[in-house]
Amino acid sequence: MLPTNSQRISMYRNMLISRYMEERIESIYMEGKKPVFNMANGTIPGEMHLSNGQEPCAVGVCAHLEAEDVVTATHRPHHIAVAKGVNLNKMMAEIFGKKTGLSGGRGGHMHLFDKDVNFSCSGIVGQGMGPAAGAALSRKLQNKSGIAVAFIGEGAANQGAFHEALNLASVWNLPVIIVIEDNDWGISVAKSASTAVAKNSDRAAAYNMPGIHIEHNCPDKVFSAAKEAIDRARNGDGPTLIEIKTSRLAGHFMGDAEEYRPKGEKSQLLQEDPIPIYRQKLIDANIITLDYDLALVAETQQLIEQAITFARDSEYPAPEEAMLHVFA
Amino acid sequence: MSATKKLTIARAMAESISLEMRVDPKVFVMGEDIAKLGGVFGNTRGLLAEFGDQRVRDTPISETAFMGAGVGAAMDGMRPVVELMFVDFFGVCFDAIYNMMAKNIYFSGGNMHVPMVIMASTGAGYSDGGQHSQCLYGTFAHLPGMKVVVPSNAYDAKGLMTAAIRDNSPVIYLFHKGLQGMGWLGNEPAAINQVPEESYELEIGKAKTVVEGSDISIVSLGVGVHHALKAAKELEKQNISVEVIDLRSLVPLDREHIIASVKKTGRLIVVDEDYHSFGVSGEIIASVIERDHNMFKTPPSRITFPDIPIPFTRPMEQWALPSTEKIINECLAMMEGK
Amino acid sequence: MTQPIIVPMDLWEEDVEAVISAWLVDNDSGVTAGQLVAEVMVEKIQYEIHSTADGIISIISEADDVVNKGSIIAEVS
Repeated sequence: MLPTNSQRISMYRNMLISRYMEERIESIYMEGKKPVFNMANGTIPGEMHLSNGQEPCAVGVCAHLEAEDVVTATHRPHHIAVAKGVNLNKMMAEIFGKKTGLSGGRGGHMHLFDKDVNFSCSGIVGQGMGPAAGAALSRKLQNKSGIAVAFIGEGAANQGAFHEALNLASVWNLPVIIVIEDNDWGISVAKSASTAVAKNSDRAAAYNMPGIHIEHNCPDKVFSAAKEAIDRARNGDGPTLIEIKTSRLAGHFMGDAEEYRPKGEKSQLLQEDPIPIYRQKLIDANIITLDYDLALVAETQQLIEQAITFARDSEYPAPEEAMLHVFA
Repeated sequence: MSATKKLTIARAMAESISLEMRVDPKVFVMGEDIAKLGGVFGNTRGLLAEFGDQRVRDTPISETAFMGAGVGAAMDGMRPVVELMFVDFFGVCFDAIYNMMAKNIYFSGGNMHVPMVIMASTGAGYSDGGQHSQCLYGTFAHLPGMKVVVPSNAYDAKGLMTAAIRDNSPVIYLFHKGLQGMGWLGNEPAAINQVPEESYELEIGKAKTVVEGSDISIVSLGVGVHHALKAAKELEKQNISVEVIDLRSLVPLDREHIIASVKKTGRLIVVDEDYHSFGVSGEIIASVIERDHNMFKTPPSRITFPDIPIPFTRPMEQWALPSTEKIINECLAMMEGK
Repeated sequence: MTQPIIVPMDLWEEDVEAVISAWLVDNDSGVTAGQLVAEVMVEKIQYEIHSTADGIISIISEADDVVNKGSIIAEVS
């Protein structure tokens, strides 16, 4: 099933928001880190894993999700958080380490938790799948609506947790979707060097669940596949594994020299940047006009600028507040 | 006099591994991003070029499998050096480590050896958050059957790595990210020191008195040693003579060395970046008191990380971490008989 | 005759500054041509600087100093 025009515009809008967010973060991240690149310094300290290029995976899936549906994500979470409806101001403040952040600065960019939209992310590869399965189990036990989606990278498909979570989800017929964003790189190691199969979607068969492979990093294709899987889950027909061939336009982390990437790969990928391609598709189909696009771009940028201003203007937490919220 | 040059800890580790690999074909290295990239923290730079991809292996993100594989290979006569990229990742592969690697010599009645080295990065201070900043010294030191070493400088790093590789028992080699010399994680110039070009071992289980003193014994490891040294320099100006001990190893723990120092000074501060409770700092204090509580002029104290997940935001993280300033203040308070 | 140790013009691509992240020899120590003497960092990448001659090294730029391609960071005599 294809998206309606309004759904297309909504997906496009979310891609604009999250891409602009990454571009702004990329530049703000470097504040205080020149000439000495010391991760500890600057407006945004620590590591930073940007999602440029992977937006279609997030918007195509989240187009079918409500606030009550549960999403777990990874160390590269921003595009998914945006698509899931995480509060932009609080997310930005959290990334900046401010008191007004989602967890008052305790989590940072790899540990964004938004209870209102049931979103969380975590930094250990592959470990978000168990909790997603558990959330799905919880809804089943309580006879409550809602499903769970775990976003992972292709590297995580080689973790024990992947195999266990798929098996468990299948054996217990859980309403959970595992979405693999295959950007081909686990830091410096290409998928071909680490993974025994060419398509991780083939592994679904080992766990007696459908495995869908999406070859193109296109929101509409992700949308259609996700709709099938999510409907299946909502109907009580169990889990699905979705694998999307996407691209990592940025490095693994900010500061990654990417010398391990073959020459020309990056520039080729940039030519296939999904956002300008989708923009053109929408314009060619008369779904949006150039003027509408300009207005949308301006509006979405405004949202992010507001979030940045909010983050900058917010205060840091008092240091001793580190002792709070260890326990409930 | 042997040729000497200065190295960062990252280079010292790589150099030690390469020297051992040259003389012993059984030594091989595996882990994530350790081949082409030379390790995220630079400690396997140059190895792939020198030894090829059979002996220097990038693994999938499959810690359970490759840690287990390390155990099996070690028991079959190889000498694997396995990298756990961040010590915080131990959760996904700990059975292979604490239940097999650490226990198989015992289970076999000493008939089988496990000459495996696990090298793992540790340490906070640059806002990498609760799952990428831990030290976990206590976690590994507490469980029987594995030696644990923690170098604070390049000279020790090379000697301890060589000793670890040559040891027929399993060794956990914990290197602090802030001391690696990677620049983007900050820099500790004192960790970059003279390292002989040839191979040498440092005995595992022997602490070192880095600076002698008569008023207070400060016992630490890793980054804490450098904080203590800076504190000692400051306190000297105030006529307080601080003795700084670098543990270098946690298992075996050089209790005698610590006790001898406290006998001399009568005052003990343990500086440990790991969590406060149920760990290294408590163990050291207990070990000394058990021997003779009368040697204390004043109750011992410890400067540790509180029992909280490591917060991301800089003000909280810096507040929580041990620091030179905290050590100075504690020493001053101690000398005032507080 | 004094030989300068210069940050090579082709050591990295962009026109950005670097920082000396570590000296791997002491000032006034003996060095040989080709010996690794320092590490410089451009953002997160470390590059190696080697001595251009045999002799005694005289360090000009200290660790944490900002340098550019073409900067003379030491001399060997």
